Amino acid sequence: MELKELYVTASLAQLDLSDEEAETLSALVGQMVEYFSTMREIDVENLEPTTHALLKTNRVREDAVVESAAADTLVGNAPESEGRFIVIPNVL
Amino acid sequence: MITELSLSELRGGLRRGELTSAEIVSAFRDAYLADAKKEEPLGAYVEFFDDSVALAERADEARRAGEADAPLLGLPIAVKDNILVKGRALTCASRMLRGFTAPYSSTVIDRLLAAGMIPLGRTNMDEFAMGSSCEYSCYGPARNPADRTRTPGGSSGGSAAAVAGGLAPVALGSETGGSVRLPASFCGLYGLKPSYGSLSRYGLVAFGSSLDQIGLLGRSPEDLAVVFAAAAGRDPRDETSAATDFPAARAVLDGAELPARDFRGLKIAVPREFVPEGLEAEVSAVFDRFVRWARSRGAFVEIIDLPILEASVAIYYILAAAEASSNLARYDGVRYGLRAKEAGTLFEMYERTRSEGFGEEVRRRILIGNFVLSSGYYDAYYKKAQAVRALLLREVARVLAEHELILSPTAPTPAFKLGSKVRDPLAMYLSDVYTTFANLALLPSLSLPAGLSREGLPIGVQLTGRRFAEETLLSCAETWRREGGGG
Repeated sequence: MELKELYVTASLAQLDLSDEEAETLSALVGQMVEYFSTMREIDVENLEPTTHALLKTNRVREDAVVESAAADTLVGNAPESEGRFIVIPNVL
Repeated sequence: MITELSLSELRGGLRRGELTSAEIVSAFRDAYLADAKKEEPLGAYVEFFDDSVALAERADEARRAGEADAPLLGLPIAVKDNILVKGRALTCASRMLRGFTAPYSSTVIDRLLAAGMIPLGRTNMDEFAMGSSCEYSCYGPARNPADRTRTPGGSSGGSAAAVAGGLAPVALGSETGGSVRLPASFCGLYGLKPSYGSLSRYGLVAFGSSLDQIGLLGRSPEDLAVVFAAAAGRDPRDETSAATDFPAARAVLDGAELPARDFRGLKIAVPREFVPEGLEAEVSAVFDRFVRWARSRGAFVEIIDLPILEASVAIYYILAAAEASSNLARYDGVRYGLRAKEAGTLFEMYERTRSEGFGEEVRRRILIGNFVLSSGYYDAYYKKAQAVRALLLREVARVLAEHELILSPTAPTPAFKLGSKVRDPLAMYLSDVYTTFANLALLPSLSLPAGLSREGLPIGVQLTGRRFAEETLLSCAETWRREGGGG
């Protein structure tokens, strides 16, 4: 994979790459992508891709209130909070 | 010795009043503490629960008070560090989740706790279950009890090392592409990857959602059957879970023996692609011996051609990486786990947190996943892999219409040396060359201990069955076990 492509992909994935890491990764990822091309010769004409492994229809359930993990416990896992609010850096 | 007994033997000891749960759990705790002092500890656990003995004492009290109707009351189990147990820490062996506490329990854990089981601790693993050697763990590797300079396999390496090393009678692992069967093969255990949908995925940290499944590691097929029966069944919280009934496994949970399968007339397919010319001699020898044994018991073992299998590792790594890149997008430093310090803006915080929190292999897979999903490459890789998966499903179904089992070695080699593949990801990925197809095809698959190499390293054989035919796999493995593992 080209270095430029790798940096674009990394930024899509919200990952920061050091130059050194990018060098080694580009060789490795390139090797992987080359390995993937072993499946490119396979003829899949007239085959529907498996967009989901199993579910063909939706399952529905009753629209009822059920108990789930307490909100306080969930908020309690936030790295920084004020009361029941999660603090994040400025967005604007 | 308590730590050498199977779960079923421990269960018998409890029922007959020859053992107490406190004795059992203390024995495993003491074994863990003794091992931790060794020069090269197994590294099987990332945390052994301090209160496990107290929980065992409570189970003993319930039993004395005549409240022992939970079928597995007071029996311990080790739990992979990616399966939620309410109120306990969980990290997926990643810096990313340091400090995280599980706000609820996974359905499988809920059911095992309801059956009376006691979680012993959290077992080591490759970070986010990505790896085949348990070396990509932020805690350092787990080691193989048969040879501590070697890997126990991955990603459920801690679970396998715990059971094989006498630190737990049975353990939960998880599979996306072989992460239970490979460690079972490397450590000389029975390891079951259930059919997609047999066990609820609710509370299993997501990696590749169309492939993930909780799996089991133990010393006998019966032990796997018992835990499987207690955990299986439809869960409204996982829409992909199935309502299949497993009466034979359930009977074992209720106290019956696991029936051994009569091999007479059993039709078994061996894909030529999985026993190549260059297969390592010792793996080949163990596998051939198993085939001879199966034939001697009346099975029809036929070599078949299934060329699509040669593409399974490539399809697997494309789809698993794509799904992982999406599933792991949630780790952004906002709601839980690590948050990078001194980030000025929200986007800086995301990027720094993810770069500091994820290890090298996880970053690599996220990158590959984003790449195969990016516009321009989507059709050539992701969509193509989905189509090839459809072809694989069809071709494997064709074989299983005529044969009850697909038989192969579990892995191309016995356990390899720690450090030998860590710098060569592709070589590492090829450890899964025989396992990934079962995940892609949603099938149950079991690794059984089939023999040893000259150096005494375990070698496994893999049975893969029709969807929801877990009981067939377990009872065939039981036949093998009763005959002394063929020896």
